[in-house]
Amino acid sequence: MVDPLERKADEAPRQRFLLEETDFDEVPPKYRRFYRRRKGPGDPLGPNEVVCPVCKVVIRSTRELREGDRVYCMPCMSRLVVVRADDGTLEARVAY
Amino acid sequence: MADFLSMYSIQHWLESCPQGYLAGTAYGHGPDEREPALVLENDLLREQAIGATVQLVVGERCALAASSGLVNAAPDEASKRFLATQTLDEARHVEIFSQRLLDLGVKKGEMEDTIREHANPNLVRFAEVLLEKVDRKDFVAGVVGQNIVLEGMAFSVFEMMQAAMQEVNPKFAHTLSGTIADERRHVGFGENRIGSLIAEHPEKKPEIERMQKEMSYWMLATFADRFRNLSAREEIRKLRSELSGYGSAPAKWQGADLSALEPAEMERLLADTVLKEFKTRLGRIGIEYQTPARP
Ligand SMILES: [Zn+2]
Repeated sequence: MVDPLERKADEAPRQRFLLEETDFDEVPPKYRRFYRRRKGPGDPLGPNEVVCPVCKVVIRSTRELREGDRVYCMPCMSRLVVVRADDGTLEARVAY
Repeated sequence: MADFLSMYSIQHWLESCPQGYLAGTAYGHGPDEREPALVLENDLLREQAIGATVQLVVGERCALAASSGLVNAAPDEASKRFLATQTLDEARHVEIFSQRLLDLGVKKGEMEDTIREHANPNLVRFAEVLLEKVDRKDFVAGVVGQNIVLEGMAFSVFEMMQAAMQEVNPKFAHTLSGTIADERRHVGFGENRIGSLIAEHPEKKPEIERMQKEMSYWMLATFADRFRNLSAREEIRKLRSELSGYGSAPAKWQGADLSALEPAEMERLLADTVLKEFKTRLGRIGIEYQTPARP
């Protein structure tokens, strides 16, 4: 099973997360726990989660996400880089 | 993660789509799900549902013509295979929305007449702008028109309709969920594949920007027709509130409760959402968004 987190940006210890199954059914079963639908703009994101700007699905990692991490959105097949937004939160940018 | 272009494979599509979220469905919904009795029995609600569904059939027929036409214009094998899967997705959308017309009581022999009668002429113009690029085998403009403009619009329209239908018509809401899942791949392909091609062909930008402006205008004109020319609006609103499930949960979309909005507010919310999405998506691939005239 491949975590959508492709590469660690820095080596300091990261918080780990146990990903429970979600009802997301748009990717093959073994990848489903790495994604979930976002329930509107008020739905909070965990430190291991980032929204795909292309298809709006929430991407989840087994590790805390950090600036510079590369993640993969399987539902829309986009490669993304995690960046720090102006408001201090983490967001994903598409890497073409 | 494995080579990115390898994801544009039939195998990935099979595992995600037919063997994934479409497994066990019939025409995109649960085999036992039916249109609400009130929609079938009431002429006003039925006509309204037929009118809305015809626009979906028209949009999807355009998407089918565009994606199939783009297969032979694609510059690489992976894109050809992806567009082949998209062609099947679009053909499926045409089929499931046509099936909904049959479910709503349109007779098979009357299907084409019904579509002709209800098809919004502005939506037809929208399609013509795109199909002209496809006919000229212009891959970059064709994919921007199809996978960013048309699919970007469909993505928001389907999401809004899905939110509105969730409680009152689970059958149609499920049909829409599957199409939304398909649209995710299509917009993803549009952005990811075209981003690099635009960088290689900056000379194509002005023409693509003109196309976006023109398609956006026809899209807004379609929305205007749908939301502004609602005859018997109050009666439809009253009938809707009698549907089972109505009001059991707010029909939330983009932070608004759709059931509480006036048609003009809904038109503005949809138009603003789609145009904002166009702007962001086009900006990401290096195309400057052009503000369309407002109908
Ligand atoms: Zn995505």
